[in-house]
Amino acid sequence: MAEILVVAEHRDGKPADVSLEMLSTGRRLADQAGCGLLAVVVTSDVSAFAPRLARWADSVLAVKTGKPEHSLAEPYQKALASVIRERKPNLVLLGHSSFAMDLAPALAVDVGAPLATDCTNIAMENGAITVTRSIYNGKVNALYSFAPCETVILTGRPGVFPVEEGRGKGIVEEIDLPVHEEAEYKRFEGCSEPEASEVDITKADVLVAVGRGVKEKGNLQLAEDLARALGGVLACSRPVVDYGWLPSGHQVGLSGKTVRPRLYLALGISGAFQHMVGLRGSKMIVAINKDEKAPIFTDADYGIVGDVLEIVPVLTKHILEPRR
Amino acid sequence: MALTEYRYSDVIHRCFRCGYCKFPTSFIEVNNCPAYARYRLESYSTGGRLWLIRAWLNDELDWSEHLGEIVYSCAACKNCAEQCPLPFSDDIVDMIVAAKGAMVERGSVPSAVKEFLENVDRQGNPYGTARSKRGEWMEGTGIQEYDGQEFLYYVGCVGSYDTRAQQVARALGRVLQKGGVSFGVLGDRENCDGNDVGKLGEEGLFEALAEENIRQFKDLGVSKIVTLSPHAFNAIKNDYPRLDGTFEVRHYSQLLRDLVRAGKLDVSSGFKAKVTYHDPCFLGRWNAEYEAPRDVLRAVPGVELVEMERHRADALCCGGGGGNFYTDFLGGSEDSPSRIRVRDACATGASIVATACPNCLTMLEDAVKAEGLDDRLKVMDISEIVGEACQARGS
Amino acid sequence: MDIVVAVKQVPDTSEVVDVVEIDGSGKDIERGTLVSRINEWDEYALEEALQWKQKLGGTVTAVTVGPGEWDDTLRRALAMGADRAIRVDEDATVIDCSAAARTLAALIGRLPHDLVMFGAQSEDFGSAQLGPMVAEMLGIPHAALVVRLQVEEGEAHVERELEGGARDLYTLRLPALLTIQTGINRPRYVSFSSVRKAREKELSVMSLDELGLPPQALTPAVELARLELAPAGKGAVLISGAAEEAAARLATILREAGVI
Repeated sequence: MAEILVVAEHRDGKPADVSLEMLSTGRRLADQAGCGLLAVVVTSDVSAFAPRLARWADSVLAVKTGKPEHSLAEPYQKALASVIRERKPNLVLLGHSSFAMDLAPALAVDVGAPLATDCTNIAMENGAITVTRSIYNGKVNALYSFAPCETVILTGRPGVFPVEEGRGKGIVEEIDLPVHEEAEYKRFEGCSEPEASEVDITKADVLVAVGRGVKEKGNLQLAEDLARALGGVLACSRPVVDYGWLPSGHQVGLSGKTVRPRLYLALGISGAFQHMVGLRGSKMIVAINKDEKAPIFTDADYGIVGDVLEIVPVLTKHILEPRR
Repeated sequence: MALTEYRYSDVIHRCFRCGYCKFPTSFIEVNNCPAYARYRLESYSTGGRLWLIRAWLNDELDWSEHLGEIVYSCAACKNCAEQCPLPFSDDIVDMIVAAKGAMVERGSVPSAVKEFLENVDRQGNPYGTARSKRGEWMEGTGIQEYDGQEFLYYVGCVGSYDTRAQQVARALGRVLQKGGVSFGVLGDRENCDGNDVGKLGEEGLFEALAEENIRQFKDLGVSKIVTLSPHAFNAIKNDYPRLDGTFEVRHYSQLLRDLVRAGKLDVSSGFKAKVTYHDPCFLGRWNAEYEAPRDVLRAVPGVELVEMERHRADALCCGGGGGNFYTDFLGGSEDSPSRIRVRDACATGASIVATACPNCLTMLEDAVKAEGLDDRLKVMDISEIVGEACQARGS
Repeated sequence: MDIVVAVKQVPDTSEVVDVVEIDGSGKDIERGTLVSRINEWDEYALEEALQWKQKLGGTVTAVTVGPGEWDDTLRRALAMGADRAIRVDEDATVIDCSAAARTLAALIGRLPHDLVMFGAQSEDFGSAQLGPMVAEMLGIPHAALVVRLQVEEGEAHVERELEGGARDLYTLRLPALLTIQTGINRPRYVSFSSVRKAREKELSVMSLDELGLPPQALTPAVELARLELAPAGKGAVLISGAAEEAAARLATILREAGVI
């Protein structure tokens, strides 16, 4: 292996958590292969990030842009493609973020490299990369290898790879963006923050979260009764918002809020990673789901395999009237 | 579909909003229409609904989730058809179903209805639970698969998948066994009867389901069917014949009455309780069967049968028809028809409200919990009451 | 405006399914009892395309690369309102994303396309790769995870979904490719009879040959070694018993743990 390249993302002045996870993974693999780790970041403020990345990377390529951080993927793609063609890293790592979903596939085609996304495990043996992907609603793991090639691009699932603080002191090199910032065929118009909601689920001690398993809007009442009995607040997974049963302020997960309650009670939620990523900080996770194979039972502390609609009212009753 | 293509375009404007559709015959209540009872808005009464439908078909009103919900909140209970004084009264519920059909064709239905129908299409039941689990209720009962026995015991989706209704499916199975009835079930080969699919306006899917069932029944040589649910009873009796499927079909209460009268079912152990009977819409108003369930109850020693003020053709629908046991457009309030109905039951002083339909059973049980009446009123299916009465003394 | 929507058919492996098993080859799941249907994201993409056709006029073409069974999904697309459908006949289980992308790019390149839509990802493999790959191969701008779209005067104004519910706003010049996220609209219901009527609409099947693609174009660069069942529920302590027992036990656990 010649070199491993990690693309570091950042937002609002901070490196993305998943980028630190990828840097740690890159460092581990680079040490294993005895090769170098290169971090690439596109930023308008080199000093804000580059030194921190240099704790993991042997060298940091800070590509300077005149624009504020949130911008088009296209200049990133061109900058990265140029770096990849020049330095021919064997492995390129990104976090599987919204940004990477937009960028990585186009980049892979641009440089002619195979791409595996949302990997839950990345391993290397005799210089050959193998990855694991979680498929079929998290019920099956698929193991992949790659036909011999120059560069492999991987995106890693957020929250899966551990962050190990880097202790190195790599060199930082600043270069100018090799291409014109603007693309006439695509304009960045700004960004919007998530709409404020009357309920701030991030402040709640107890969250009762509903998913598709509650079957229909009318059953939310059961969950609300339980939430009230527990002194908590109603939360939900994405499908509940897609169906219009609850406003988006209640959504926990990748495209929703991150919460750290004392108790997270998941009702009829399968445990898809996009949801679980938002509640890993919970002190106790309890899941009720009809499907004993649902991935949520892997992350939960306690679980009941059964019908949410049957169990919840009984649970509410027992919470309100403790047995003597 | 424009107004001109709508089947009832020549009569729909004739409703002059007299409001009779909301009342029972005795006029003791103004909310015998389950949707009107819940919402107390004219839109949710039959008359109001018809006017909104006409406006929508005539392009005076745009479709919206709210309009869809108003139209789909009709539980198809037939109180309005029973009470309407106009010459087209018999057609009223069909008029609403036809409007639902127009919505289905346009693809504009409330999301819960979409799910209901897609689930039936894919897995043969509205819950969307795997087809392969449809026969699980039978485990340990010794009930046999249908293989030429005298009766096909048709269970239906609610009885096969809802955990409480499964208990009733088993109870009825045991009673039939005790009565020496030769019967078999389809288990996981059973498919949705389609009654509620038809009442939701998806005529195309209903016909596909019915045709498949008819073919299956004929291939198996089925001639006599006994159903757990009045919904299946209604579809097979009234809608399957026009698709070339004519079977001798009975609701189980009718079969039990025959068994008891013929002395084939020994209910002498009795069941001591004051019981009130809730008429299911698809057995009562839809098929004029008010007596068989009562005859069965009266035949059980110890049962003191009392009637709710509104009963027989005046019964208040539990609100579970028209797919509402799943889509739940009538829930969530103390004015929900199921909650009103259990209050009716309580008022009789009965400790048991007896049902003959698994939809009514689940709706009323949830209502008893919601009303906090768990310690005063129990919901039992007639087959469960008969089952208790059949237990040999000392066992 | 001519819109092309790429769709696929996936097996239902969600909570309602009985059991997912690996088949004898170790490289596929047992599909016998599984019901298959249109990929959820693609339904949203189709609905979006059809709504824009209704507003601005034009055509919607549904395309896919897959086996004969996937005609069901194409018929559904036609029943929803697509004008025609095209399937490139190929065993979907043996090709990887870049091969599928090459095939779709070759097909779409031959069709008039002002707007190309993909679902953001698929329910079975969830790679989220196809759309942006095809855009790059076609040489048109793209945006992934679109939750809002406004089309006017040759431009697409989109909102892209980011972590935490924030959004980035872009304007893309058409022709452009978008990958559509769930929740962007409410997909319409497709009635049984409309699927039957859709049989009169055009559904054509093509081979790789006809697209001028040699079989080598499909050689996967990402090779599947094998499938394994994910370990089930190892983490949680499962509370057994009927509803009453289990709920009572859980209430006790919660009390003892001091969380309530």
